Amino acid sequence: MGKVAAKIKVMPDSPEMDLDTLQERLESSLPEGAKINGVEREEVAFGLVALIPTVIVPDGAGGTEAVEENFTEVEGVESVDVENVGRI
Amino acid sequence: MSEDKPHQNLAIIGHVDHGKSTLVGRLLYETGSVPEHVIEQHREEAEEKGKGGFEFAYVMDNLAEERERGVTIDIAHQEFDTDEYYFTIVDTPGHRDFVKNMITGASQADHAVLVVAADDGVAPQTQEHVFLSRTLGIEKLIIAVNKMDVVDYSEDDYNDVVDEVNQLLNQVNFEVDDNSFIPISAFEGDNVAEASDNTPWYDGRTLLETLNDLPESEPPTDAPLRLPIQDVYTISGIGTVPVGRIETGVMNVGDDVSFQPSDVGGEVKTIEMHHEEVPKAEPGDNVGFNVRGIGKDDIRRGDVCGPADDPPSVAETFQAQVVVMQHPSVITAGYTPVFHAHTAQVACTIESIDKKMDPSSGEVAEENPDFIQSGDAAVVTIRPQKPLSIEPSSEIPELGSFAIRDMGQTIAAGKVLEVNE
Repeated sequence: MGKVAAKIKVMPDSPEMDLDTLQERLESSLPEGAKINGVEREEVAFGLVALIPTVIVPDGAGGTEAVEENFTEVEGVESVDVENVGRI
Repeated sequence: MSEDKPHQNLAIIGHVDHGKSTLVGRLLYETGSVPEHVIEQHREEAEEKGKGGFEFAYVMDNLAEERERGVTIDIAHQEFDTDEYYFTIVDTPGHRDFVKNMITGASQADHAVLVVAADDGVAPQTQEHVFLSRTLGIEKLIIAVNKMDVVDYSEDDYNDVVDEVNQLLNQVNFEVDDNSFIPISAFEGDNVAEASDNTPWYDGRTLLETLNDLPESEPPTDAPLRLPIQDVYTISGIGTVPVGRIETGVMNVGDDVSFQPSDVGGEVKTIEMHHEEVPKAEPGDNVGFNVRGIGKDDIRRGDVCGPADDPPSVAETFQAQVVVMQHPSVITAGYTPVFHAHTAQVACTIESIDKKMDPSSGEVAEENPDFIQSGDAAVVTIRPQKPLSIEPSSEIPELGSFAIRDMGQTIAAGKVLEVNE
């Protein structure tokens, strides 16, 4: 079975949120079988910066659901949106 | 590769084992887009193992391993160009649970190549992918009838597959030209870059010529503004800031806008993109903006922002065409799963199942059926349990599709035919 790379946009709950801390929390929240392969930062507006990790998951049942759920639970996260998916 | 040419995102779709990866490899190879060191490495390994020929699936595996080792992965990784265009290949995941991502994510592909193996014909995923490409707003579909070498380049076999695919396309009202069908062998290279001597009965264009002749994609700037709200912030010194990606239309500072279904509105004071103030924003732009008189609790994620004089539709009920992809039992009227449409997630009741379509003829197989199940395409009437902003896909396709989820699975996908406000 192949693997899928998903670009997931994670918005912090405020412009004051420390992004390094947030990134660490995201990394430690990953479900088994998923891994982060690089994290981009995108300046959005009015001081808000989105973290955009590329997460590798198996091309199988559940899709990106478990990752999205875990990221959503992370303290300091406002929202989680999968921007793009593609097989690698 | 030239950056001056217009850009096209191309999806490669089709049933598993019908040769998608081999075709991607072949396209990259024929356009000189496979990195030299990958070809070299393959040549060495092939010599060691005594394998002959150039195996594209191997090249693809190799590139995938290489990308996974890399620090960052660009999903838009496979690229090639023709005389007219600069193409990026979107290699869609096989599992159905990714369909939700394709519907709610950034729109991915402008056009698609449907790969159908000549020795197998239309298979379950062929049907599913055709429906999805229609739902996801693919403009042009090119049908590559692959593995012609396996059927000894038989014109009869090719015509059989063309007929089968045409029936499928009729079912979802996907219009294609006769010259959208091409007999190819991705493995041998027939009719990909050069016309093949093996198919003297075919006098149409090669696959690369067909790709080169695709129409240029225009961003949907002419449509009314539709900006689904992702998040709403309170920023000190600014006030309430909704954030989201513009799907259609243009937002200008000074515009009078309306948020639906929250049903509030005001004048756009400032728009920022990449932390810079901009006078206007267009489709695909991720923006934060500020609207006079709007408080943080007035609007929420799932609202859609549009012009006050052409506000986003709010559905009391809507009629939609759906395809059931996976469901353990049957779907009957009264079923209430969660619908994912743009940034909204709303429980909706399937109020009535109006028509079931016959997959082989595309005609109505049954009026008001008692149930539908996996593999069925149907027209249904849906009642959102909370107000939902959604648009007919014939008018604003970007806001007209949805995924239906239940039990942790994507069970169906659909597009809106009609909205009753």
